[in-house]
Amino acid sequence: MKFGGTSVSSPEARMLAALRVVSAKEQGFSPVVVVSAIGRRGMPYATDTLVNLLREIDPNVDPEARELDLIVACGEIISTVIFAHTLKTLGYPAAAFRGGQAGIRTDGTYNNARIVGINPISLRRALEEGKIPVVCGFQGVFVSGDGAPGGELTTLGRGGSDTTGAALGAALKAAAVEIFTDVEGVKTADPDFVPSASTLRKVSYDEVAEIAHLGAKVLHPRAAEIAMKFDIPLWVKSTFSDDEGTEIINLEKVPGRRTTGVTHTGKLVYLQFDFLGAPELHRVELETRVYEMMARYSLNLYMMNLSPTGIGFAVPRDQYPTVEDLLDGLVIPLGTDGNRAIYLFQIGTIPSREAETQLQLLASLGEIRTVRLDLTEGCTMVSLIGNEVLQQPGVFHRVLTVLHEAQIPVLQTSDSELSLSCLLPESELNRAVRLIHDTFELADVS
Amino acid sequence: MTPDPKPTTRSRRARSRFHTESIDCAPTAPKVVVETMRETEFEKRRGISRIEIREGYVQVHVAGLQEPLMPSRLAILQAIRDAEISLDFLKLTTNGLSFLVTADQSGAVQATLEGQAPELSVRQDRRVVMVHAVNMRDEEGLIARIVAAAIASGAQLEHVGDMHDRMLIVTDGPGATLVSQAIRSRLGVEA
Repeated sequence: MKFGGTSVSSPEARMLAALRVVSAKEQGFSPVVVVSAIGRRGMPYATDTLVNLLREIDPNVDPEARELDLIVACGEIISTVIFAHTLKTLGYPAAAFRGGQAGIRTDGTYNNARIVGINPISLRRALEEGKIPVVCGFQGVFVSGDGAPGGELTTLGRGGSDTTGAALGAALKAAAVEIFTDVEGVKTADPDFVPSASTLRKVSYDEVAEIAHLGAKVLHPRAAEIAMKFDIPLWVKSTFSDDEGTEIINLEKVPGRRTTGVTHTGKLVYLQFDFLGAPELHRVELETRVYEMMARYSLNLYMMNLSPTGIGFAVPRDQYPTVEDLLDGLVIPLGTDGNRAIYLFQIGTIPSREAETQLQLLASLGEIRTVRLDLTEGCTMVSLIGNEVLQQPGVFHRVLTVLHEAQIPVLQTSDSELSLSCLLPESELNRAVRLIHDTFELADVS
Repeated sequence: MTPDPKPTTRSRRARSRFHTESIDCAPTAPKVVVETMRETEFEKRRGISRIEIREGYVQVHVAGLQEPLMPSRLAILQAIRDAEISLDFLKLTTNGLSFLVTADQSGAVQATLEGQAPELSVRQDRRVVMVHAVNMRDEEGLIARIVAAAIASGAQLEHVGDMHDRMLIVTDGPGATLVSQAIRSRLGVEA
């Protein structure tokens, strides 16, 4: 049973979570509990708060990955000990474990480690003694083999606590893994936008993974991947409701075409590059350099587009300042002798001070070719999720028609076997989600 | 074995056993061999796992549509829907749209759009290069690295798309080989 940050954010929430564990115990199960850090952004022991303790010392000095793992792991340790103690106050013996103490071994990638083995012998012993083990989510230990005593603490990166829950379930051959959160399961849409959104009773791992890929937070696919591999039933449930929740299952168990839900990303900025003036060889080189730069700075790209004259992609708004720093005023000289050209990147129609300065500095070197980047701020992406969505003739037509009739402009589209996405103004997000949800009658899906 | 086979004749050989179970057995069953803990593939390995090329597609480009563009695009999509043709990789272009259909639909698409699309081009023998990598959005920069390698291959790319476990790159036959080779060499993917 894994409880997320909101499920352990207050004494009242923790008590509800603890009562769910007690209930499982009373039903004859031997629960093993995994908990996340207490609360979300801004709360005293939340992961972000702990990281800020380091960043506030000097924002210009990045904390080392190893030390980041040590400080971040404190959040789960505090949460675990408090949760174990809460169970004890209810009269149920419990024991708190760090990831390493629970036998979770990882590779040596700080901040984003992968579980490579689990030896849950200490958990088995605790269970034999009638105790409820409570384990820190999101962390493990890397044993390098160079004799370092105790190994190195590592954290598992995105979806870490869910991953801990599923991996322990697999190692202990659990009857089921239950991920408790603040929603009743996987919904057909964000209930804040669509109050009539229904809770899906079954959804495939691939659909959940695609929802996460498109930016929504439900269940991290790493956890689902482990549960599917070891054939352990995996459920997403609410700590605060008795709804039966959503079971995550293999796609083979729910074959056939269907639409599952509507999801949306956060705020995006869409960039379009015009390489019209560049010869073919230079265009290939410029496009390659742009994407390599995006890779080097770990930028998250959405809605990629290629055309004979340029490229386009969207980045999350919080990453846009990095993109602007990298690209505005960027100079790339290419070719030799007669084929030589100097390209200057300029965001928007009016050059920024950086771009103008570069232009003046380069003036004596000959012709400067401007690569213009058109910027569309305030975008978001709304996606229809489903199995074999596009094999249904007319799905694109249906989505674009309903948005057009509502006068919602669609700036670009993208699609895959599992999704169909539209880039549109953020101001229209709420309306677009509701319209698509209604058009495909997703309130009736279960 | 399930129990010790000497006193229990119906004992069976366990085909598989968790390492931890062996550890549990070891103190009371001295013949149980406990190796040092083996790595278990709880999670799939990160990065690119394989590259696959799918054949049998045609790329359809419709251009020269009248303003306002969206109703003109919708008319094209409605005709495609009415002909019960499934399409993939729809992209809105400056004055039209482009999409991919399976090669067996090529004739139907041309017949449907003939006279309706001001400029229609159907490019035969298109292939989809699928670059498989689990949870690829978690691998920082991986999507951009794959696209950079594909562009650097020099192949004429017509489309790039992504889903949770793969990148999809549409190109022609020779281009598919170039893209595949470039990704293998630039990103260090084993053949």
